[in-house]
Amino acid sequence: MQITITVNGAKRELEVTPYTRLLDLLREDLGLTGVKEGCGKGECGACTVIMNGELTASCLVPAPQADQAEIVTVEGLGTKDDLHPIQESFVEAGAVQCGYCIPGMVLASKRLLDEKPKPTEKEVRYGLSGNICRCTGYAKIIDAVMLAADKLAVEGSDSND
Amino acid sequence: MMRKSPMKQENRQTISGADFKEYFQPENLQKALEIKAEYKEELKVAAGSTDLLVANYEKLHEIEYWLDLVKLDELKEIKVKDNKLHIGAMVTHLDLMDSDLIKDKLPVLAAAAEDVGSPQIRSRGTIGGNICTSSPAGDLLAPLLSYEASFKLQTEAGERIVKAEDFFTGPKRNLMEADELLTEIIIPMTENKREGSWIKVGRRKALVISTLTLAVVLEFEGEKIIKAGVAMGSVAPTPVRLKGIEAVMIDQTLKDLDYKALGKEVKSSINPIDDLRGTKEYREDVAVDVMVRALNELERKVSS
Repeated sequence: MQITITVNGAKRELEVTPYTRLLDLLREDLGLTGVKEGCGKGECGACTVIMNGELTASCLVPAPQADQAEIVTVEGLGTKDDLHPIQESFVEAGAVQCGYCIPGMVLASKRLLDEKPKPTEKEVRYGLSGNICRCTGYAKIIDAVMLAADKLAVEGSDSND
Repeated sequence: MMRKSPMKQENRQTISGADFKEYFQPENLQKALEIKAEYKEELKVAAGSTDLLVANYEKLHEIEYWLDLVKLDELKEIKVKDNKLHIGAMVTHLDLMDSDLIKDKLPVLAAAAEDVGSPQIRSRGTIGGNICTSSPAGDLLAPLLSYEASFKLQTEAGERIVKAEDFFTGPKRNLMEADELLTEIIIPMTENKREGSWIKVGRRKALVISTLTLAVVLEFEGEKIIKAGVAMGSVAPTPVRLKGIEAVMIDQTLKDLDYKALGKEVKSSINPIDDLRGTKEYREDVAVDVMVRALNELERKVSS
């Protein structure tokens, strides 16, 4: 069956089966390997994407259910040479160890900061509550989100000048 | 010499691209009901898919017939009709916790929705899916029992309304017939003062299947309790309404009640099991504590 989805701004028509998960579609058909499979059961958040504006576990979405959806993956935020302020902050805060959870963490941070540009630590923890990290102990990840909030606030005021 | 692969052939998935027979994604309810009438139990019904894909992890290709409700916008509404709240079966947990109407009229349901899984799960999982999966640990189920919700079950030819407390018949079992779809959750509103409390006990705050849940909804005339809904999850084969406890509370004020004694009565009216998430003994002890905590919380809410 055919579906139409918009991924990182590009509209695509794709042939899928019901047992293709959105995760498989993004990774295998579109090569967006920033989307990771951790548990495959919606518990770890490594496969997180932003679907129609909301955090979604792409391992729990049959591809046909993504028809007409708008998807953002970590590849849609920044490039290696031009990192998104959230990505920059993760680097600067030393929030990355093995890195497997980070694309999901970055997207959860993006969704959070879009809604709450100046979050409290509690709000950050709540915003990232669907993403598990087994290396960092979260402290530096939370620092990174706070740092990103500051960066984005400065950037926002610049662009208003 | 080539070494023989240690992998057994029969463990390999047999995906060919033509394994499934039909994937139905109807755009109106009538069509969905026609498909349900024709294929009945052969269909796997997909709402938010957050349970379906976990239950069928690594064997999705074995599902032959899918009925996907995701395009039924008519099941995504929350509205008031005849002094009742009507919640479409495809309303998500995120919709519930963000809805001003639900937060105002059914705060216990909104709070329970906020405790489901994680942001990633709440954006997809639906109230109808939570009900139809019928897990004794389903977070929305105790609140629905406490609010005396009814469920509208539709077939191609007609519909029936079933009380939430009659709906669940066992772990992951309910009384739905093979040609029926759950389309709407109906909850009575009231002019009286209604206060509630929601407590979920689990091993961590997010992404946890409940060890125990409690939903208490009390309706007051002045200080007198004129109606009570007390229900628990994960303490019996189905979510249970504790009518014995409710009866003790009717016509009393909160001040009249002996919280500790009520808690003990809760303990003796549930039937939990030992499992991964807690032992029977633990659940019984916690049941006493959460009942006392809920009543204390209600007391604070009523007096403020």
